[in-house]
Amino acid sequence: MNMDTAVITRPDTTTPNTVYHVKSGGSGTILDINDLCLWYGAAQALHNVQMTVEKGLVTALIGPSGCGKSTLLRCINRMNDLVDNLKITGQIRLLGEDIYNRSADVIALRKRMGMVFQKPNPFPMSIYDNVIYPLKVDGVTDKAFLAETCERALRSAALWNEVKDRLDQSALGMSGGQQQRLCIARAIAADPEVLLMDEPCSALDPIATAKIEDLINELAGQYTVVIVTHNMQQAARVSDNTAFMYLGRLIEYGDTEVMFQTPKSGKTQDYVTGRFG
Amino acid sequence: MSAMTETLAASVEVVPMSKSTGRRTDMRSRGEPVLWSLGGALAIGIVMILGFLALVFSNGVMTFVPKPLVVVTEGDGELTAGEPFRSELFKPVAEDLAKLSPEWQQRIKDADGYANRTLYRIGNFDIYGEDFRWVPDFDATKFEEPKNLVFVERMEWGPFVGRVVGFKIDGVDQPFTSLDDSKFRDVHDASRERAQDIRKIERGDIGDINHALEQERLNLRKIEMASGRNSAEYKTAQESLNTRSAALQLQYNELAATVSKLREANAKNTLTLAEIGGREKTIEFSALVRAYAANDLSFAQKTGVYFSRWAEFLGGEPREANTEGGVFPAIFGTAAMTLLMVIVVAPFGIITALYLREYAKQGRLVSFVRISVNNLAGVPSIVYGVFGLGFFAYVLGGSLDSLFYAERLPNPTFGTGGLLWSALTLALLTVPVVIVATEEALAAVPRSMREGSLACGASKWQTIKYIVLPRAMPGVMTGIILAMARGAGEVAPLMLVGVVKLAPELPIDGVFPFVHLERSFMHLGFHIFDVGFQSRNAEAGKPMVFVTTVLLIGLVTIVNATAIVVRSRLKRRFAGSQF
Repeated sequence: MNMDTAVITRPDTTTPNTVYHVKSGGSGTILDINDLCLWYGAAQALHNVQMTVEKGLVTALIGPSGCGKSTLLRCINRMNDLVDNLKITGQIRLLGEDIYNRSADVIALRKRMGMVFQKPNPFPMSIYDNVIYPLKVDGVTDKAFLAETCERALRSAALWNEVKDRLDQSALGMSGGQQQRLCIARAIAADPEVLLMDEPCSALDPIATAKIEDLINELAGQYTVVIVTHNMQQAARVSDNTAFMYLGRLIEYGDTEVMFQTPKSGKTQDYVTGRFG
Repeated sequence: MSAMTETLAASVEVVPMSKSTGRRTDMRSRGEPVLWSLGGALAIGIVMILGFLALVFSNGVMTFVPKPLVVVTEGDGELTAGEPFRSELFKPVAEDLAKLSPEWQQRIKDADGYANRTLYRIGNFDIYGEDFRWVPDFDATKFEEPKNLVFVERMEWGPFVGRVVGFKIDGVDQPFTSLDDSKFRDVHDASRERAQDIRKIERGDIGDINHALEQERLNLRKIEMASGRNSAEYKTAQESLNTRSAALQLQYNELAATVSKLREANAKNTLTLAEIGGREKTIEFSALVRAYAANDLSFAQKTGVYFSRWAEFLGGEPREANTEGGVFPAIFGTAAMTLLMVIVVAPFGIITALYLREYAKQGRLVSFVRISVNNLAGVPSIVYGVFGLGFFAYVLGGSLDSLFYAERLPNPTFGTGGLLWSALTLALLTVPVVIVATEEALAAVPRSMREGSLACGASKWQTIKYIVLPRAMPGVMTGIILAMARGAGEVAPLMLVGVVKLAPELPIDGVFPFVHLERSFMHLGFHIFDVGFQSRNAEAGKPMVFVTTVLLIGLVTIVNATAIVVRSRLKRRFAGSQF
C-alpha cells in the first residue's frame, strides 16, 4: 500500500514563474494585466497573473476546470463586481488606463468591450431590439443609424441572410447556434475594442461550433478577441496566442503553434498531450 | 488487508443464494400506503370544494325561479297560502298531540315522537305581522294550487300572496281579466315610469339644489371663520346667500309641485288585492314591482320572471332592508374599492420588492425586513381595520378635515370611514402578497440575462427596466391578482373603515369631483353578512345570501380568469427559449 511507487508527477503549482513566448501583433498591446490576484471570500482563485493581450489578435485561455480562466476573463470587463465578498489586487490596464481604479466608470468601460457568454442569452425581445440593445442603453435614437448598425452587426455575425426577413420576431424562436451568433452580433454592435468570449461553443452542436469558429477567424484583425475554451483543438484552430492556466496561475503564455507543438513548460506539455486535465 | 479479504470470502460462502434471490420489496418500502393516503387526501379535498360549490350554486341559481303557491286547509278550517319554503322534523308538544286523531298519534309515536312540518312564505306582512308560517303535516287536511292566486312583489312590506279583486285607472274601476291584460300592463308601466321620474327629480334636481345650498352655507361659514361675523365680507356673503337661497327655494317649489302632480297621478292607479282569508289591501301600481299568477305560468313566463329578477338583482338598488331588490351599489362599491386598492398596492409593492431584491445589500437587516413583511401577511385582518380607523380615518382624516374642510366641522369629511381609507387599509393588508410574489419573480430572472445586459454597457437601472422587470412581469401579475382576490373578499376590516349597510350615493358619480373618496360605500362581502345575519327577516334573507355569494364567486372567478389570460400572454413572449 505504498503510494510513492505508483504516483504520477503532478505539475508543481507553487512555482510563480510563467513561461512567455508571446507572438506580437504589430499594433501593440491593448490589455495589460499586472500581478492580478483574486479571492472569493477566503479562497484565492487567481495568483499573481501577469500577461498582456496583443491588439488585433485572438488570445485563447485554456486550462482544466476551475483553473480560473473564466474568472480572469470576467475580471477584464469587471463582471466579477456582481459577486459578493470578492477581493482583487493588482491592475488591469485597457490602453494604459487602470480599470480597477476607484474613479473608473464601469459602465463606460463595459461599453468598450463586448462579451459573449457560455449559453446563448438573447433577451426576450425581437431580433432587432436585441442587436441594438447596446446602442439603446447608450441613448441612441437615430432610427436610420440603428437600422444600419443592426444590419452591419448581423452581417458581421454571418446571420443577416438567415434573419433579415424576421427582424421583428422574438429572438427566442431561433436555434441555439443562431442565438449565439445573435449574441455575437449584439456584442459587436457598439463597435467594442475587445471582444470577450466565455466558452462560446460549449452549448452548441459541431456544425454551429464550426460556424462560430469561422466567425471568430473573420473577426480577428478587426477586433481583439479573448476567448476562454475547454476545447484545445478549438484554441489551436482560432487563436494566435494561447495562455495555459492551472490552479489559478498562469503557467505558460505564448504563440499558439509553439504551445501545442513544442511547449516550453512541462505542465503545458502534460495538459496539451492529455496526460491530465 | 489479507485478513479482511479472507473474511469477505468467507461471508460470501456463508450467505445462501436463495435468501438474496427470494427477497421482495415489501409494500411499505415501496410507499404504497403513502400513495393511497395522498390520493385519498386529494380526493377528499376535491369533494369538499365541489360540494361547497354545488351547494352554493344550486341554492343561488334556484332562488329566482318562481315557485308554486299552495293553499293549505288546516284542521280547524284555517287557510294558509304561500310558497312552501322548507320542511323539517319537530317534536309536537304533548297537549297538541292529545288533540290529534288516534291514527296520527300512532304515526308520531312510531316516529319516536317526531312529526314533519313545512314552512310557508305567506307574505302579507302588513296584514299578518309575519312573513312565514309553520304548518305541521298532521294539521293539514287539504292542499290546493288555485290558478287565480298571484304572487305580488311590492316596494314595501314584502310580497303579497292573494287574489286580484280589481284595479282602478285614473280612479275608474276596471274589470280584471288577467295579469297579461294590456290595460293592466300599460298602467303598471306608466306608473313605474312616473315613480322613476319622481325619484330622478328627488335625487337629481332637488339633490343639486341641496348641494348648491350646502355649498353656499359652507362658503359663508368659511368667511365667518376667516374674518368673523361682523366683517363686511361676511355681510355681503350672507346677503348673497339669502338671495341665492330664495332663488333656489323657488326652483325647489317648482320641482316639488311637479313631484306632487306625479304622485297624485300615481295615487289614482291602484290595485286591490285580497289575501286568502278575504281581507283586502289596496296598493298603488307605482309600488308594484312584479306580479305573476304563480300556478298558471307557462315555461316562457317562468323564464321571463326568472331573468327579470336577475336583471333587477344585478342592476337595481336594494329594498326591504337589502333582503329584496338588487345589489348594484354593492357590486359598484366592491369594484371601485378593489381598483383603487390595486392602484395603490401595485406600485408600492413592486418598488419595495425591487429595492429589497435588487439594491439592498443582502444581510441581517434585509432578512429581518423580509421576515417582517412575510409575517404581516399573517396578521388578522381586523387588526388592519382597527389601524385603518385609528390612523387613516382619525389621525390623517382628522388632520385633512381641520386643514381643508374646517367649515364643515363638526361633521367629518375625511375624518370617518370612506372609500379612500378602505382602499388604503386593504392595500396595507395585501402589500405583503405583492412584495413576496414580486421578489420571487425577480429572483427567478436568470442571471445570464442580467449579465448579458450589463456586459452590453447597460447600467443596473437600465437592466432592471429593460430586462428584469419585463421578464418578471408574469410573476408580478400573479401577485397583484392574489392581492385583488384577497382584497375583494375581505370584509372584517372594511366594517370599521367605510363600508355601510346602505349607501345613499355611489362613490363615483356625475357631481364634481366625480370620484368621492370620502364617501362610504356598499360591498358585496358585507352585503352577504348583513342580509344573512343583520336583517329583520332572516328566513327571507337566506336565499339572497346564496345568490350574492354566487355573484361574489363569479366576480372573483372573472377577475382571476382575466388575469390568467393576461399572464399567459405575457409568458408566451418568453416561450420558445432553448435553455
